Amino acid sequence: MPVRSSIGAVALATVIVTTIAAARAHDETKYPDWSGQWLRTGGIQWDPTKPIGRGQQAPLTPEYQAIFEASLADQALGGAGNDPRFACLPVGMPRLMSVIFPMEFIFTPKITYILFENNMPRRIYTDGRSWPDHPEPAFAGYSIGKWIDADADGRYDMLEVETRHLKGPRTYEGSGLPLHKDNQTIVKERIYLDKTNPDILYDEITTIDHALTRPWTVTKKFRREHNPTWVENDCSEDNHHLAIGKEHYFLSADGYLMPAKKGQAPPDLRYFNQSKK
Amino acid sequence: MRSSIRSIMLAAVTIIAAAAGAQAFDQSNYPDWSGQWKRPAGIGNQWDTSKPPRRGQQAPLTPEYQGIYEANLKDQAAGGQGTDPTYTCIPDGMPRAMNVIFPMEIIIQPNITYIMIEYLSMLRRIYTDGRSWPKDAEPSFMGYSIGKWIDEDGRGRYNALEVETRNLKGPRAFDASGIPLHTDNQTVVKERIYLDKSDPNILHDEITTIDSALTRPWSVTKNYHRERNPVWVEAICAEGNQHVRIGKENYMLSADGYLMPAKKDQPPPDLRYFKQTGK
Repeated sequence: MPVRSSIGAVALATVIVTTIAAARAHDETKYPDWSGQWLRTGGIQWDPTKPIGRGQQAPLTPEYQAIFEASLADQALGGAGNDPRFACLPVGMPRLMSVIFPMEFIFTPKITYILFENNMPRRIYTDGRSWPDHPEPAFAGYSIGKWIDADADGRYDMLEVETRHLKGPRTYEGSGLPLHKDNQTIVKERIYLDKTNPDILYDEITTIDHALTRPWTVTKKFRREHNPTWVENDCSEDNHHLAIGKEHYFLSADGYLMPAKKGQAPPDLRYFNQSKK
Repeated sequence: MRSSIRSIMLAAVTIIAAAAGAQAFDQSNYPDWSGQWKRPAGIGNQWDTSKPPRRGQQAPLTPEYQGIYEANLKDQAAGGQGTDPTYTCIPDGMPRAMNVIFPMEIIIQPNITYIMIEYLSMLRRIYTDGRSWPKDAEPSFMGYSIGKWIDEDGRGRYNALEVETRNLKGPRAFDASGIPLHTDNQTVVKERIYLDKSDPNILHDEITTIDSALTRPWSVTKNYHRERNPVWVEAICAEGNQHVRIGKENYMLSADGYLMPAKKDQPPPDLRYFKQTGK
């Protein structure tokens, strides 16, 4: 009888533990700890190991190298070149991962979210889904991820992500390094913590794009802030850049339209009743 | 033998405790608010969805702010933007964000509940870790939100989230008709968010706004419908925005790329910083 009781007790205990496990579908202990706030460790350029602009030595096709050179020339005169960010469009992928302002990760059973202070969040689907048939293209694209337990210790240590279905215009950085306007970009990422310092996170990013002669791989490095302060960074608030047609102008501090380039013509005011002046 | 039963049960308790410790976030304690939440079909973008827009809202404004609102309505009727600041794509801020013009998602985590709204990158972090108000927090359009989970029927599972939001900045309006909040930005927003008792695919948000532009706290209830298999679409205000502001004037951009007046007989912008001789 006592033996039967003890078997019953074990069975009861097993049931309780199993029930608890089932109730908690998202087992946090299987995932790495990427909590807190992640800040970039380098500048705002795409490849953090090289200088911005031509110093990036981007493997552009001749056609897109020429587009880039024209962008640089326009920027040297005060224009915005290819960089669409002056009008506060989202930077999109892969440039989002330059993390100009800090980011945060949230893990849920089916989606990993990456939140940014000044851009829409990324949703990375980790539920094993296939690519959707006709998704609406987006600046952040559509991302499918897979958690990897590389060292087989029962805990995931790396997130592999592939992003497709992008839309433009997009560039890699403020210098206007262009992506192809066909928007067939594919971005592959491997995100993981440093093996010796859990407050360092890496993102190996490979971009496959028709403006490139070969896939372009860079590694971004982020450092963790465990006790973050979050600040809103809204691009449209106090934006002094203005596009009218294909021209880029500035708004002066005293509230007037002003040229962005030397000798720039004023906007065509044909729709105003000039006789009233 | 009794001691062996005791030791087995003790072991079981230890295992359970270890499991609980390792999995600090017990999802079963929280309501299921997953999926995508949308305004119900046919509901407009006015603040109190039970009343008509504009003056029909009967907003309890002070005489001063009623005057500001009337001037705003007159400006909007003439083609202007009045006191609705969002035409330049700044965030709606609180409480207007909860109009949920584009869908929202709620993610419940151990210390923070996140509310993500597609439009204008509006992200709310509602801290539920028991913290106090920060001393010198930077004001923001979405404000600083502290929440408390409530198990009001004592079933061992939370069913309502009470939230208070402070530390706001402006300009903000309740809705696109420009119903103003006070320029002192001392707004306090109190919310109670919970699922409908009979339909778990309906979420309610009782929102009370306390603001110096109001003669009394203004309470409204928002209802949202769940989509369990959502498609998320980027809604980018700055993409194709035809409104521009130069100084204190707002203008439009024509489809063919020219600056044009937003109001009848609106003068063109002052081009004093251009070399007119070059024309």
